Amino acid sequence: MKRLAHAPQRSGSFLFDGRRVPFHENDTLAAALHAQAIRTLARSRKFHRPRGLSGSFIAGHLCGVDGSPHVRLDRTAAVPGMRVTSENVWPNGGFDLLRAARLLPRHWLRAGFEHTRLLPSGTAGFEMWERFMRFMAGEAPVHAGSSRPIPEGRRMTPDVAVVGGGPAGRAAANAAAARGRSVALVTRGLTAGDQARDWGVDLLPLDPRITVLARHEACGLYDRGRHLLCAPHDAAQGATILAAGEVILATGRRSVPPLVAGADLPGVMDAATALALAHRHGVAPGERVAVVGSGAEAMLAARLEALGVEIVACLPAERLERIAGWSAVSGIDAGGHVACDCVVHAGPWRADRRLAFMAGADGDLRVLRGDLPAIVHLAGSAQEEDQPVCHGVSLDRRALACPCMDVTVDELLDLIAAGETHVEVLKRLTGCGMGPCQGIPCWDNLAHIVAHATGRSAEEVGHPTYRPPGAGLTLSQAAGLQGLVPLS
Amino acid sequence: MNALPQRASTVIVGGGIQGLMLAFCLAERGSRDTVVLDAGYWQGGASGRNGTMVRGGFASTEWTRFFGRSLELWIGLSRRLGENVMFTRRGYAILAESDAMDGLLDTMTATHRQCGLQSRRLAASQIVDVLPHADHARIRGALYFDHGGIAPHHAVMKGLRKACTDRGVKLFYGTPVTGFETSNGRLAGVLCGEHRIAADATVICCGAQNTRVAALAGLELNGEAHRIEAMATEPMRPVIGPGIALPERFTYLHQTARGEIVGGSETPGETPRESLANTVPIMAAFARHLVEMFPCLGDLRILRHWTGMLHVTDDHAPMMGPHPDIADLWISGGWMYGIAGAPAAGDMLAQAIVSGVTDDRMAPFAVDRFRRGALITEGSTVNV
Repeated sequence: MKRLAHAPQRSGSFLFDGRRVPFHENDTLAAALHAQAIRTLARSRKFHRPRGLSGSFIAGHLCGVDGSPHVRLDRTAAVPGMRVTSENVWPNGGFDLLRAARLLPRHWLRAGFEHTRLLPSGTAGFEMWERFMRFMAGEAPVHAGSSRPIPEGRRMTPDVAVVGGGPAGRAAANAAAARGRSVALVTRGLTAGDQARDWGVDLLPLDPRITVLARHEACGLYDRGRHLLCAPHDAAQGATILAAGEVILATGRRSVPPLVAGADLPGVMDAATALALAHRHGVAPGERVAVVGSGAEAMLAARLEALGVEIVACLPAERLERIAGWSAVSGIDAGGHVACDCVVHAGPWRADRRLAFMAGADGDLRVLRGDLPAIVHLAGSAQEEDQPVCHGVSLDRRALACPCMDVTVDELLDLIAAGETHVEVLKRLTGCGMGPCQGIPCWDNLAHIVAHATGRSAEEVGHPTYRPPGAGLTLSQAAGLQGLVPLS
Repeated sequence: MNALPQRASTVIVGGGIQGLMLAFCLAERGSRDTVVLDAGYWQGGASGRNGTMVRGGFASTEWTRFFGRSLELWIGLSRRLGENVMFTRRGYAILAESDAMDGLLDTMTATHRQCGLQSRRLAASQIVDVLPHADHARIRGALYFDHGGIAPHHAVMKGLRKACTDRGVKLFYGTPVTGFETSNGRLAGVLCGEHRIAADATVICCGAQNTRVAALAGLELNGEAHRIEAMATEPMRPVIGPGIALPERFTYLHQTARGEIVGGSETPGETPRESLANTVPIMAAFARHLVEMFPCLGDLRILRHWTGMLHVTDDHAPMMGPHPDIADLWISGGWMYGIAGAPAAGDMLAQAIVSGVTDDRMAPFAVDRFRRGALITEGSTVNV
């Protein structure tokens, strides 16, 4: 994909599966690869469908980096000489025989295929089959030499902890600081407010007294809000426990991909990802870009055009029939075919409710959402109502509800038709939402499909229990937390 | 869903692995009209949250004879069910990091020999072969079960459920029992709200809810609910073959067929409570134990972390058999190694219920042993 006029200077190169890839200043590995039109960054677990940078499905942009497995390419800065290797390939990314799995009939690989009656346990054949499956499922090799010292965690006790560096988070943090409270602000960005700036929003400066934990994932809110767990994206750094008097969740909303066939292909991405590529890295998300959404699509198209991106279509997501393509997006069908190599979605918008769920939830038969504890507050668009998942013109059985685990709408509808309508049971039967995203946004899809098939509302159907930390921190980082939180 | 029946030969309260296995074994022995009632959802309790590890050998003869029999049954279970439960004999290693634990492993080996159970001590070079990625400097000794292994609960529960429904067992999830009816000293009926099911025999086997459900019949059952936390990492190509117990760290783990490392730790000093909410200190403890023993796993991310609840008795051993105070009421509870023990428990309880014969391997675990003061001493379980 072309570099846009405002792209930063070129600064070095790294290796991707042995191929030299140049990168520019401030590039993430994902941005540099995208600029070279290398869009297949991963292969899905069972079908081995190509996956790329989507902003929605984490498994699409995980690779081995310098011996560490499953590194997020969208969060890792490119460094000269880095070695990036594809995972879930055999023997290697350049010549991957596992791609043949894509040609298998999908129903052969439905959940439960691994405990086929053809090879029952207790036979020698089963032990060989199990060994083969373990190898295949493992995706990435472990490097015997790769071990680092446990990075010690730390405990901070600010008066107020704010999650999210966007306008709402900044306003809340500034207001607390102005009242003389000590404030810690947690943001995924390199600096707080990266996403808002990508949209062209002017942000108020942050009060200098605020402690900013940049490039951190707020991955768990324990003990009714008393302990917020934040882990740095850099696995060499220790995690932080924020034992704050008050927690403000200003985590905003994210665009959920349309639940249509082909939405898992490389080239389909959310607004935030497309804007980060175009604005921060000066990389066009595609040569010909289609924008879909739930109302914000025109605004997004205008913003992308202003950044130098060519827009070929702009339409409501509900008009989509499918997204076409084999190894990446080649077009959309929406009352006619439009050729494009990238589909950006701006809505439906839904909040990531994991932290809020965790803070209030409890139960002994099933973890259920309770009231938010008094010390936890929502701010900004996270307070707004979620928009319903959009399945385009009609619910397509070929669409993937959970691309990381290769769970199709077809498989879920068949189970629902057989009487399984409990989301926890459907999750256990199919593995839906059990990949690295941990249900974000796959359980939105799951609830939508159950609701659609049973005539209930998605809220009534609910979602399975969020089980943090959701790939937010490494074992070493978790080990470094010992002694920081008392046993309850 | 079918309507609840008016009567049943056996009502099983609890649709976890114990309940389903027992229902299957009853059906296998020709018993009809078995009903299983469960307050939660399928796989919602400890049977969908456990470590899935199976071993036959413990430190006491009571445990070893019972769990050794269960291991034999695990091996043939897929054939009996006609479903693949995926029990894989990848081996099971108990690692000692101190001389005291190493000594216990010697004692265990002697017990196993006495009970006819196969186990062996590994030499240092064998430990390297079996666990190439472990930090060998920490390991003083290892006890290895070649026939131990992993029984993944998703496959086991699916196979059991299918085998049960195929044989006419009626399963009702989301159906809490609200009371029991006793007459003439026997348990005559099970109440689900307004509905009454008359039963020839009733079995309580609902894990952490056991004491609460037994209280509905006016009974005080030994033990209490106990929380256990576990977690799973991102998948890796095979690194760890066997199931592993680290008794000194109260930690157990294995690598699943999906490539994830799954395991958990217990930490002394936790206040018993009934909650499925997770905690930071236990996540940190497990992560530290895992990374210290397998340093190469440090960069793996924790995908998910969850809590399950168990019924734990005073001597940490299961309780199986008729209740001493009310006729026709049976208990299968106190399970901490429930997945390992389920096949034997199902088989022996079914035999006792159908033909009145108590297997002598089950007898030591009788429900009234706490009253008699006949507690079982077992030194090799991984618990605090």
